[in-house]
Amino acid sequence: MSTSRRKFIKRGLVGGGLLALAGSLPFALRTTLLGRAPRRPLRLLTLEEHAVLAAAAARLVPGDGAGPSWPSAEALDCAGKVDALLATVHPDAGRDFRRLLRLFESGLLGTFMAASPRPFTRATPAEQDARLEAWRRSRLTVMRSGYQALKRLTHAAYYSSPEVYPRVGYPGPPVVPQVPA
Amino acid sequence: MSGARSAGRIVPGAQLDNMSATEVDFAIVGSGAGGSVAAAVLTAAGAQVAVIEEGGHYTKSDFNMQEAWAYPALYQEHGNRTTDDLAIMILQGRNVGGGTTVNWTSSFRTPAATLRLWAERHGVADLDAATLEPHFAAAEARLDIGPGNPDDVNANNRKLQDGAAKLGWRPELIRRSVKGCARLGYCGMGCPLDAKRTSRTTYLADAIVGGADVYTDCRARLIETDRGRARAVVADILDRASDRPRGRLVVHARKGVVLAGGAINTPALLLRSHAGTDSGVVGKRTFLHPTVPLVAFYEQPIEGFYGPPQSVSVHHFADRGARVGYFLETAPVHPMLGALAVPGFGDAHRRLAERLPFVQATIALLIDGHHDDDGGEVSVNADGRIRLRYPLHASLREAAVDAIGNMARLQLAAGAREVMTLHETPIVIRSEADIARVADAPFVANGHTLFSAHQMGGCPMGHDRRRSVVDTRGRHHHLENLWIVDGSVFPTSLGANPQLSIYAHARLFATAIAEATK
Repeated sequence: MSTSRRKFIKRGLVGGGLLALAGSLPFALRTTLLGRAPRRPLRLLTLEEHAVLAAAAARLVPGDGAGPSWPSAEALDCAGKVDALLATVHPDAGRDFRRLLRLFESGLLGTFMAASPRPFTRATPAEQDARLEAWRRSRLTVMRSGYQALKRLTHAAYYSSPEVYPRVGYPGPPVVPQVPA
Repeated sequence: MSGARSAGRIVPGAQLDNMSATEVDFAIVGSGAGGSVAAAVLTAAGAQVAVIEEGGHYTKSDFNMQEAWAYPALYQEHGNRTTDDLAIMILQGRNVGGGTTVNWTSSFRTPAATLRLWAERHGVADLDAATLEPHFAAAEARLDIGPGNPDDVNANNRKLQDGAAKLGWRPELIRRSVKGCARLGYCGMGCPLDAKRTSRTTYLADAIVGGADVYTDCRARLIETDRGRARAVVADILDRASDRPRGRLVVHARKGVVLAGGAINTPALLLRSHAGTDSGVVGKRTFLHPTVPLVAFYEQPIEGFYGPPQSVSVHHFADRGARVGYFLETAPVHPMLGALAVPGFGDAHRRLAERLPFVQATIALLIDGHHDDDGGEVSVNADGRIRLRYPLHASLREAAVDAIGNMARLQLAAGAREVMTLHETPIVIRSEADIARVADAPFVANGHTLFSAHQMGGCPMGHDRRRSVVDTRGRHHHLENLWIVDGSVFPTSLGANPQLSIYAHARLFATAIAEATK
């Protein structure tokens, strides 16, 4: 790709607002596999968007090699926690994140980025990992940003859970000593 | 003015009617280092003061040392503030006490070299160390900032100290704003003992005793101006659970408006209000001390989650001549913060997370704005959402790569088994020979973990009205009764942790405000 074209795309995507591209994928969520019902009433996301986030979270947290003592993203309700958090940030930021989920689910984009033509929620775990990798290592800033949004929100919800503390060798907060006032 | 005013109080937003209004001498936006000291000084001078704070009021019994509670409750954008490309995570307080509630207690005076740079290159003519001296001394006394204490050094900081000493890089003990510190290690989540001297427990408490009222959960949305004067601050009263506006508080200001919302929110408030932005420089030259972490793994547990987060600093590389300088400190290593810093996902990420107790985290804070880099830019969109752009200037990337190499040398000298960069494709460093590989790795947005705990600039002070927003006592060049008393007035980054500098500058400015409005 020529430098000027790359610059144009970068400027077009980022300059037009994060993930404006998602507006061109209105049907991406029509074929979403809903999976398990949310564990709590959703505050921002639709059922489809929640399902995409839950599917991504399942791959982002420790999985196959971790052993049964590690809780799953679903057990810790990572997607529900992220939904609750996003309901309190600026409405624009929430809208951007919902667009990101739509993009992420898109089989069209999956084909383009990682030869994975199915909706993300219907892809195999290996395909899902390849999709995440493609976003993570993309040459486009906006794609790397999108990956980071998913990664950070999921990891924040997961690794701040006391259920995970023993797994990472963290004894948890100490008992606060009683000191005279 | 009468000296016998009854004490003020903290008014939770939840107790305000949907349409509320009050009138005072000074409306102060923000209750962190800058706003609190301004409130205390102006109250002591006899003025009636209202402090408008976007965040909630939390006290030591609320501080449960859990990241899951602390970051959403106590930080801007519920812990999710970043640059617009997500490349730099922004840690910035949002609560009664602002950044002082969550800072890591490190206390430095403004470096002499930085004051000289401002005088020589940024038109800051009458603000030297001697002028600031009494204000630093007063703030240090009020905040119980004593000499650095070797007993504060935990294993995480000990490695920084040992490595730097071995290499001749002159580690120094950090002075801390604490009294009765139990060295728990949770400064960033609010001190459960109130041992940290925050603005809430010092200057803001003084202001309240003197009669100031503090309105919490109220986000300043607009400054109302009229014929070159600021008349009122209009704030959204936020519903705590949803963080959405549910009403409006108007604070009419008879004498003036004082802004202390921090170096991102203050320029955004001016821009949103179209108030005093004619110069075109409001929001530009925003500096972050972009911070590059490097992790090392040791044979013995470090337990970087316990003990004072920062007690040692290294300024050996602060002056690199024509190249961007940096200074070294440590970061606490808690599970969430650690997981966010470490790249990758799934089991690759887990294998690193499992080594948490053995991690030592050194950070390099890049001293931005001292060379040809112009920092970032704060803007607001039509809905008032704040946007922070911060392109990584080539000179900063050079400094980051240099810093990674030197931090690796330091960690290896301190006995690390291996060092790992936080590139998305990490580079493992076991010897000097491996360090050369760092220069070959691309250093791009979202290709390496970066964060900022220090926000500065955006409303620089100076005498040149075309290049600065306020004069060297914080008074706005075009709005005669509007002052800015937070880190946004710094013309460049400081080259040291900024909080004490903000207290001291704000105290100087507030003293001038009191004098000018007698």
